[in-house]
Amino acid sequence: MRFQSQKVAYWFFATCMLLLSLQIVYGFIMGFARIGMDGLHDYIPFNTARATHTNLLVVWLLTGFMGAAYYIIPEESDRELYSVKLAYIQLISWVVVGVIAIIGFHFNWWEGRKFLEIPRPLDYLVVVNVLTFLFNIAMTIWEAKKRSTTQLVLFFGLLCAALLYLPGMIYFDNQTLDSYFRWWVVHLWVEGVWELIMGGILAFLLIKLTGVDREVIEKWLYVVVGLTFLSGILGTGHHYYWIGTPKYWLMVGGIFSALEPLAFLGMAIWALNMYRKKGKNHPNKIALYWTLGSAMMSFIGAGFLGFAHTWPAVNQWTHGTLITAMHGHLAFWGAYAMLVLAVISYAMPNLTGRKLFTGMSGYLAFWASNIGMLGMTGALAVAGIAQVYLERKLGMDFLVVQKEIEFHFVGMLLAATLFTVGITYFIVDFIRHGLPSNEALGKNVGDLD
Amino acid sequence: MLSKSQARAFFLGGTFLFSAIFVFLTVDTLRQTDSRTNAQNITEDVLKGKEIWEKNNCMGCHTLLGEGAYYAPDLTKVVERRGATWIDVFLDDPQAMFPGERKMVKYNFTKEEKGQVIAFLDWVGKIDANGWPPKPNIPIDSIVTSPAPQIKSNVVALSQPEKFSQLCVACHAVGGKGGNVGPALDHVGSKFDSDYLNRWLSDPQAIKPGTNMPKLPLTDPERKDIVTYLSALK
Repeated sequence: MRFQSQKVAYWFFATCMLLLSLQIVYGFIMGFARIGMDGLHDYIPFNTARATHTNLLVVWLLTGFMGAAYYIIPEESDRELYSVKLAYIQLISWVVVGVIAIIGFHFNWWEGRKFLEIPRPLDYLVVVNVLTFLFNIAMTIWEAKKRSTTQLVLFFGLLCAALLYLPGMIYFDNQTLDSYFRWWVVHLWVEGVWELIMGGILAFLLIKLTGVDREVIEKWLYVVVGLTFLSGILGTGHHYYWIGTPKYWLMVGGIFSALEPLAFLGMAIWALNMYRKKGKNHPNKIALYWTLGSAMMSFIGAGFLGFAHTWPAVNQWTHGTLITAMHGHLAFWGAYAMLVLAVISYAMPNLTGRKLFTGMSGYLAFWASNIGMLGMTGALAVAGIAQVYLERKLGMDFLVVQKEIEFHFVGMLLAATLFTVGITYFIVDFIRHGLPSNEALGKNVGDLD
Repeated sequence: MLSKSQARAFFLGGTFLFSAIFVFLTVDTLRQTDSRTNAQNITEDVLKGKEIWEKNNCMGCHTLLGEGAYYAPDLTKVVERRGATWIDVFLDDPQAMFPGERKMVKYNFTKEEKGQVIAFLDWVGKIDANGWPPKPNIPIDSIVTSPAPQIKSNVVALSQPEKFSQLCVACHAVGGKGGNVGPALDHVGSKFDSDYLNRWLSDPQAIKPGTNMPKLPLTDPERKDIVTYLSALK
């Protein structure tokens, strides 16, 4: 840690860990419900568990992005954060809004639009909160003497993410339009501006961990995020095939979705190449594992598995089945979850001055969670393919098919257990690092720049 | 090789160009939406139904137009598939209709609210969704090598009463057509006399406590019709 104010990132990361644990708990509730063990139905029906599971995901990732920004921006700007106090106020209010939303879900209080379940009054609070966050970051950059591409791409990504939250708040009478503009938030977030944030964070980590010249890394950052927007914006079309929009979306969505893996492929090649060109070894290998792992897993999960079912002729059969859940799990894990864990792995030794990355537990966390997640994805893939054939191709009844594929969820639960073991290792390590310490000020552990 | 400023130009230019195309296509989509979705049929009831749909986060289990949680059936064509009457009975007590299966919350909707939900689903089912959902294209008959056993029953003798085809077939099959939650009813007329069938339909629990068969809302003439029909299945 170079600056006192970077400490605020720690509390965002700690919140992440808490929310991630909770997300896993709700995931298990859903997994058990699928094998017929739905004893909690009267208290936490599936729709509550599902809304909580996905919203926690979004909230913990955004919390992670904010933490990453609070850590990265001062260092990239070479100055303290504009206001530490504002950052703490923002974190506390963010958590309060999140907690109210989640409690609300358990009392049937929500908006009922997939991924955007947070009730309307809370939406406004989220907007105010995010504006506060952006103001703090913008002022830090504004008053800085140094400008860097990484800093600007990250800021631009966060700004667009905030702006794109707004179309999700317009009310439409027509279900088709409702759905149309809901994807402006959901798709343009995860397959657009979040990738910008991802690129920014990845660039920062690559600069720090590989020691390759900033100019080289940042040039490729532009290429990668350029590819993202080139394919991702019109790629939104793959959500518009079957919701009542014109037929040309089949072609537009199909072609640009087919290009979407390019952005992720670019990301993976970029990260691996920078690693190959590295000047010398950074001691924090675990952070490097998560960084390169994120670049590669996002290509497999988001790029390749997305590609596998976005072609219209395929999608007409797989749309609305477990195939989507399969892709969703590995995509979010690879692209965003692993990246946040990478930032945390990189930042924690710097914040606390403790070099815990020398032990085994970091590797156990990495491998157990990754193998667990691949297992879950595999279980969902097999269940999904079986579902498509039995339900869509043969026309068997929905519930009959669900009985046939129940067994795969036993596999999913086993894989999820391994995943949980990995995350537990990660969290235990996080706790063992202790609180950020002033003694760690002014120096970063083993940085190469 | 690309310079940094060229890379930046690629990023900014691409973003601007494709955003512009996206906005243009959105305007055109908005122009066509009313006719593709039969917007003129969005009545007060449909809107109320949509409100109920969202207020209870139905999409947290069900799927609509393929979007949702994949835990409960896609309801895009549910009105066409099950009929309004069946949905109306089902919503009163979902678990009674699918005993021992995946559970659905009992929402205690009023008669009016149920009608609104059905109106909403009916409107959604008529949206022009580019031919989605597709019809099953490997008919089960084509992969069964031996011919399906011919079930002999005198189904032809009497046509099915309306209520029977709206409600009973969801669980019971006659002549190989219908659900498999309850037993097939092909020879039910030779097992039970009409008096028993009548008492059974009036209150299944009174005859066989703990049975999965729900007590269906049937008027006296409707019940009589069904009993006559069932008695003829020998």
